Order: sequence, then C-alpha cells, then structure tokens
Amino acid sequence: MSDWGQRLRRLLLAAVIIALVVTSMSLTAAPRVRVVRVSNWLASAVSPISFSLSWIGAKVGTVVTSVGQLYTLEKENKALKSQLLQYNAMKLELTEVLDDNGQLRSLLGLKQALGGWTLVSASVISRSPSTWFDTVVVDQGSSAGVEPGQSVIVAQGVVGRVVGVSPSTATVMLILDPKSGVGAVDARSQAAGVLSGNNPVTGDLTFQLFAHRPDVEPGDAVVTSGYSQYYPKGLLVGQVVKVVKTQYGLTETATVVPSVDFNSLDRVIIVIHHPSQTGLPPIFGGGTR
Amino acid sequence: MAAWQRPIYWVVLFALGLMVQTALLPEVFPVGYVPSIMLSLVVVLALYETPRGGLALGLVGGALTDLLGGRLIGLNTLTFGVLGYVIASYQPRWRHDQIVLPGVVGALSQLVMGPAQWLLLHVIGYPVAWQMVSAPLPYLVLFSLLFTPAVGAILGLRPESSRSRRGGR
Repeated sequence: MSDWGQRLRRLLLAAVIIALVVTSMSLTAAPRVRVVRVSNWLASAVSPISFSLSWIGAKVGTVVTSVGQLYTLEKENKALKSQLLQYNAMKLELTEVLDDNGQLRSLLGLKQALGGWTLVSASVISRSPSTWFDTVVVDQGSSAGVEPGQSVIVAQGVVGRVVGVSPSTATVMLILDPKSGVGAVDARSQAAGVLSGNNPVTGDLTFQLFAHRPDVEPGDAVVTSGYSQYYPKGLLVGQVVKVVKTQYGLTETATVVPSVDFNSLDRVIIVIHHPSQTGLPPIFGGGTR
Repeated sequence: MAAWQRPIYWVVLFALGLMVQTALLPEVFPVGYVPSIMLSLVVVLALYETPRGGLALGLVGGALTDLLGGRLIGLNTLTFGVLGYVIASYQPRWRHDQIVLPGVVGALSQLVMGPAQWLLLHVIGYPVAWQMVSAPLPYLVLFSLLFTPAVGAILGLRPESSRSRRGGR
C-alpha cells in the first residue's frame, strides 16, 4: 500500500477509536448499574489488599498529620485557651438544650420510629481513582442486604447513595459528585431545591432553588426533602454560606458546605430500610425544625 | 523480558499502583489532591518503549483506571494512550538519565493531563469546575516531579548509557 494510503488508514483508525471512546464516555458519565457492577467486582477482588493498604494509610496519615500539626500547635494552644472560656459558657447553655431535646424526643416518640430503621455499618476501603467524580467503595455488599439506591449517612449527615454492589462491597456516590442530585429543603423556610456537587476540591455543594424568590439565608441548615426516591426526609446535608442570583436574576442558587468531613470518612452507615414519612433522629443529623 | 510477558508485567504493576492510589493515598492526601500514581507509571515506562509499546501501555493503564472507577469509561484510556504514545515517540531524542528526565516529563505530563481531561469532559457535555484542575495542579505537578524518578528507581529502570557504564566497571 502507498505511504499516503497507509496514513489515511491510520487517520481513519484514530478517528474511529476517538469516536468510540467519546461515545463510551458520554454513555458512562452518569453511574450505570451494570458498568459500576464491573468496577465493584474488581474492587471486591482486590478488597483484602485495599483494606490492608487503607489501614496502613490511616496510620501513615496519623503520623503525617501529627508532624504537620507540630508547627501550628503553639498557635492553636493559645486560641484554644480563649475558646475554652467560651465553651464553658456554652456548656451551661447546652445542658439546658439537652434537657429540652430529651423531652422533645420522648414527646415525639422518635425512639419508636427508630425501631423501624434497618442500618448496616460499613468501612470505607477505597476511593475513586479519578478526580472527576467522587465515589468510595465500602466493605458491605449485597450479602448484607445492600442495594443500589440506598442512602449512606454518618452521625454528621448525608454521605451519599449506593450506586453499585457486589456480594462483599458497594460503591457509594458521594454528595460531592457533580451527578449526585439530592432533593433538599432549607430547614428554616422550607424553600426546596436540588443539591449537587460543585467542586470536590473545595467540597462545596450547589443548591439550585426552585422558587423565584426563595427565603434562604447564610447560616440556614439544609436537609433532605424526601421528594427523591433515594434519601429519607430530614437528613442534615449542610449549611448555607452564600446565596447568589443566576445570570439573568430569574432564579437563585446557594452555596452549601456539607456537614460531613469527607477527608476523614472511615466508617459509614447504610440505610437498608426506613419506614416512609419518617426522619432520622437528631443523632444522625436528621430532624427539621 | 519476552514480548509476551510485558503486558502481564504492566497489568500487575498498574493493579498495584491503582490499589495504592485508591486505598493508601486518600488516607494521606485530602479529597481532590490525591496524586496519580498511574500517570507516573505510564510516564516512566513509556520512556523506555517504542511508540507502539507506549501506546499499548497507556491504553492498558488507562483502561484499568477507568474500569476500577466504573464511570467515564474511555477518558483515561484515551488520554493515557496518547500520553504513552507521545512520550515513547519523542524519548529517543532526549538525553536519558534517572532523575531529571523522568521528573521533568512526569511534571509536564501532569501539567497537561488535567487540563486535557477537563477539556475532553467539556466536549462530551460533562462540565466540571476549572478550579478542580487549577487548585490541586501545583501540588500534583510537584508530586510528579519527585515521585516519577522514584518509581523508575523502584522498578530498576536505567538508561542504556548508565547500564553500560556499570557493566564496564
């Protein structure tokens, strides 16, 4: 074949490969159960090693953090002493609040509601190898009753939802992921919208509000609305830090800082089953005002 | 190493690299700042490959990364494949050593890879914030600069000239 012909053949081959890859990327941009299942099987196969590495990493991380902290310890010590005075005052206030809280819980019968919740505790064994989306793999799978769509929480609030399972592991899409989409409401004003990951580096979430002029202010708590099929109502997601109008001023968006610290995510709770129309008790971040 | 053994060697190496990247490093580095061991591996191996070999190892490394991630299948396959091919094509023109070349090529690759993937994601309609690339980039470039030569040393990869010098002694 002539040199020109060979070049043309190579060019065509490259074009076909690029077209295939772009199609594949477009089709798999959002999590697909079958595709995630393949990655789950891979994660299961390497989970014993991943678990050991994760354990070693946690120990290494503690040492690295301790060394890094030496420089800031003195500074922090001074700040902490002044904070201690503030906390002593707050402690008195909290004692009163705790008393009130205990009374309210008994009044509302939340203890009975909790009886209907089926929860499974799991450890995070690995994270996504890509920076473009945020998923973690946990060490509980379908054999523990875990299924795609179930929500994952910690004491501080919502972590994400299960998007794929194998018998011994499950892939959890964090709320930081751009495709997460959590139905949420402002706990104070009940203004509704959708929360999605904006930037895993800053960890901020974008709260796209439905109403034209929603009543949302910095400092407001944002909780799950219960409108979506995935998340039970009333789970704490985060706190509003900024409210901005969109380009043409037709709608508003708010920036929300998640209540969960995703850098120190080691153990999570998977909600296997929850009775409908109930929220989690405050200890799990739930409970709208 | 026989030609048929190399893909097996790559797969084992990439699998180990991926496990370190997904299980060990996230415990040390914060979210969004986890360095890419796979990139360092592709760079350091491609420096000793033919263009065809560089393309193949990039495709294998990228495909494994995509499969373990379970989403955006093809993103790393394509970009790592191109990266492996380009490095392997140009490496005969470069003066090889064990520290400077792998470090510089690793850092430059990291510098190009983030924006290239970001651009590709925009093309397929998966817009992500530019800050996701720009904020961690200096740290990731620095990590690649230091880590890529270390990977080469761990794998025992040495330029021909250094090997012949050692043999002559």
